[in-house]
Amino acid sequence: MNTGASSTRRRHSRRIATALLFIAPWAVGFLLLVLYPFAASLYWSFCEYDLLSPPRFVGGANYRRLARELLAGEGFGRAVWNTAYYAVASVVLSVLAGVGLAVMLSWKVRGQAIYRAIFFLPSVVPTVAAAVLWMWLLDPGGGLVNHWLTALGLPAPNWFKGVQEAAWPPDWWSGRAAFGSKDALVLMSVWGVGNFMIIYLAALGDIPKSLYEAAALDGAGNLRRFWHITLPNLSPVIFFNVVMGVIQAVQAFTQVYLVSEGRGAPAESTLMLSLHIFLAAFQNLEMGYASAIAWMLFVVLLAATAALFHSSRYWVHYQGGSP
Amino acid sequence: MTIRNAATALVVLLATSLLFWPDSGDQEEAVPAGRKEVIFWHFWGGDDRRVVQDIVARFNRSQNDHYVRAIAMPGNNLDLKLFLAVTGGRPPDVINQDDPIVADWAARGALMPLEEIATRQECERLREWLFPAAVDLCEHQGRLYGLCNGLDIRALYYNNTMLKKYGLTPPRTIADLDRIAEEIPANDLPASARPGNSNGGRRIRFGYLPDARRLWAWAIVFGGRWTDDHGKVVLDDEANVRALQWMTSYSRKYGPRTVTAFRQGDQSLPGKSFPLLAGRYAIVMDGQWRTRDIAAAQKREREQGQPVTEYGVCPLPPPPGGRQRAGWVNGNFFLLPRGAANSEGAWEFMKFWSGFGGHEADAAQTCAEGGWIPVSKAVVDQPRFQAFLREQPLFREFVALAAEPFQKPTPVVPGAPFLYREVVSTAESAMYEDDPPAARVLLQRAAKNVDRHLERFNRKRSPAP
Repeated sequence: MNTGASSTRRRHSRRIATALLFIAPWAVGFLLLVLYPFAASLYWSFCEYDLLSPPRFVGGANYRRLARELLAGEGFGRAVWNTAYYAVASVVLSVLAGVGLAVMLSWKVRGQAIYRAIFFLPSVVPTVAAAVLWMWLLDPGGGLVNHWLTALGLPAPNWFKGVQEAAWPPDWWSGRAAFGSKDALVLMSVWGVGNFMIIYLAALGDIPKSLYEAAALDGAGNLRRFWHITLPNLSPVIFFNVVMGVIQAVQAFTQVYLVSEGRGAPAESTLMLSLHIFLAAFQNLEMGYASAIAWMLFVVLLAATAALFHSSRYWVHYQGGSP
Repeated sequence: MTIRNAATALVVLLATSLLFWPDSGDQEEAVPAGRKEVIFWHFWGGDDRRVVQDIVARFNRSQNDHYVRAIAMPGNNLDLKLFLAVTGGRPPDVINQDDPIVADWAARGALMPLEEIATRQECERLREWLFPAAVDLCEHQGRLYGLCNGLDIRALYYNNTMLKKYGLTPPRTIADLDRIAEEIPANDLPASARPGNSNGGRRIRFGYLPDARRLWAWAIVFGGRWTDDHGKVVLDDEANVRALQWMTSYSRKYGPRTVTAFRQGDQSLPGKSFPLLAGRYAIVMDGQWRTRDIAAAQKREREQGQPVTEYGVCPLPPPPGGRQRAGWVNGNFFLLPRGAANSEGAWEFMKFWSGFGGHEADAAQTCAEGGWIPVSKAVVDQPRFQAFLREQPLFREFVALAAEPFQKPTPVVPGAPFLYREVVSTAESAMYEDDPPAARVLLQRAAKNVDRHLERFNRKRSPAP
């Protein structure tokens, strides 16, 4: 009996060792490249650290600085405003454009596959190429967009070079509102909505036909069917896309760096959180402060995601009840 | 064999062949026996890189003790690479830079002052030998932390043919410049059809437009300063405010959105060519490197049998009470990272390139080939460089300005990269926002930000409590 038990134990531990060996590359990578930087940046956020000399513990000084800048609307405060503006505008518009396009592309028309491919294509263009393309298109003087706006007798905004914000303050009636650099970034992100659109399309295909048939029998029109059947059934996917969209928007870096001369130009109107972290860390060599911003970014994203999850019970409908 | 097996075999073959791929040419060349290697990092590319390779080759031929290996790397993250190399204990022996980082890096202990490698007499001789601007660029707390090897000077380029056409002459005062901006028409339509008149007409030209990045220069010209007598940064000096107010007056007059859009159009010219040559302005502020573009354009006109457009260069014109022949200077300089293996070799190479210590003729050749402004009169006076100036008459004005005492760099203080961005961003706010706060308020706000940044920097450097 004893011999049998010990051989089972041996076999068991050998199997565990083999399993550990197999996951070792991943585990080592995770520990060194994810967990260690994660923990180190938390520690550094309480330090002053310039890469060249050892980190020096300064308590909550970096967080106090963040709070002061947030209240004064400078530095971090400016970056938070820019990021919030960009995230809210781009996520809202992406949902509207994504759902709208997906519904239209689900209509059975000739060339449906071609239309789907056309609208999906922008999302496979690399970010750098897309940024360069949009810088050309939205060039205030020689860009195609302003060329057509002028031809139509509409005002030609300065896009990436403008410090104006179209959405805030909302003074469209004064005739002074204009699209500026953040609006151009929003436009660019909505153009790449194809990824989200494909998910909406898949979800549209999953909505049971019987629901539409029943609604039709009850005399519901197209709009009513969209409102009472399509939207509620799409809501879990919209929820997923909103969460992912917020995370992506808050972390936007490459396109922001490219259009803003790497410094948030013009006049810090494109100084997003990730660019602010980059400048603090690698231009000003304030690793401690940069780590504190990164942690605030993490906390804000966590809070935003938690708030979205919390709100989901009021507007997200799962077929067959909540998961 | 199936297609799948064949594909796998091909991938394995390619991956294996990568392992045995020979090193690229620059890394294979061995250091000659008996000589010590000098690792030199720089960021020059294109035509300039060939000039750099030539200088390195000339230095290596002239040497029995040292051998320079030049490594070109992308400029945008050179700083970070250097810091990692310094922290890792294997920095290059010498690097070349052109950002305002000398004091910042020196205060962090990443750089070795020249006083530690050269004798006191040599350092004193060097200070006398260099143009004042070349000393200013590398001096921090009374010590030289780098050796300048080329200056970048800004002046006004003017299209003399255009000025003459409208009965104007090159500006000698700021009022002259304003008048030129006023009188050069926005396009070639009859006066009744120009912008500002009810029947429109697209603007294709400005007489002159200030550039937000050049507040650094105009503040000095207006009699301002960026540091006080104790080296403390001053942004809201009365003359700095006046300079920014004057720059902003253009945006207020033509509208910030019009000015921004027109400026952006300069960036969209094919090959980022010089907007002056495209006829978009009568006057543009730019550096000495544009003299080549002008010479090339005039050559093209001659070859095509067209009338040759006349261009000229003049110093920035001051307002009453301002400074003559003043402006903003930057340049390239060599820095010695602390902890390098062969700083002596690096020092020899730096002297060879800049021309100090009997290398003036070599430096004159380098500057003539690269189209660079020498850092000393002793190099300017060399026959080879004088011959170059005869070929490039417009260049002469830049070289003359390089010797002037009020060609001032961005203050050489710790935190200068932050200071630089803050000043440019402030000027952008003043010039491009629809309803910006007053210039004075903006500069005061920027001064507060900079003070706080420098205070944090200094606190870090002070010993722990």
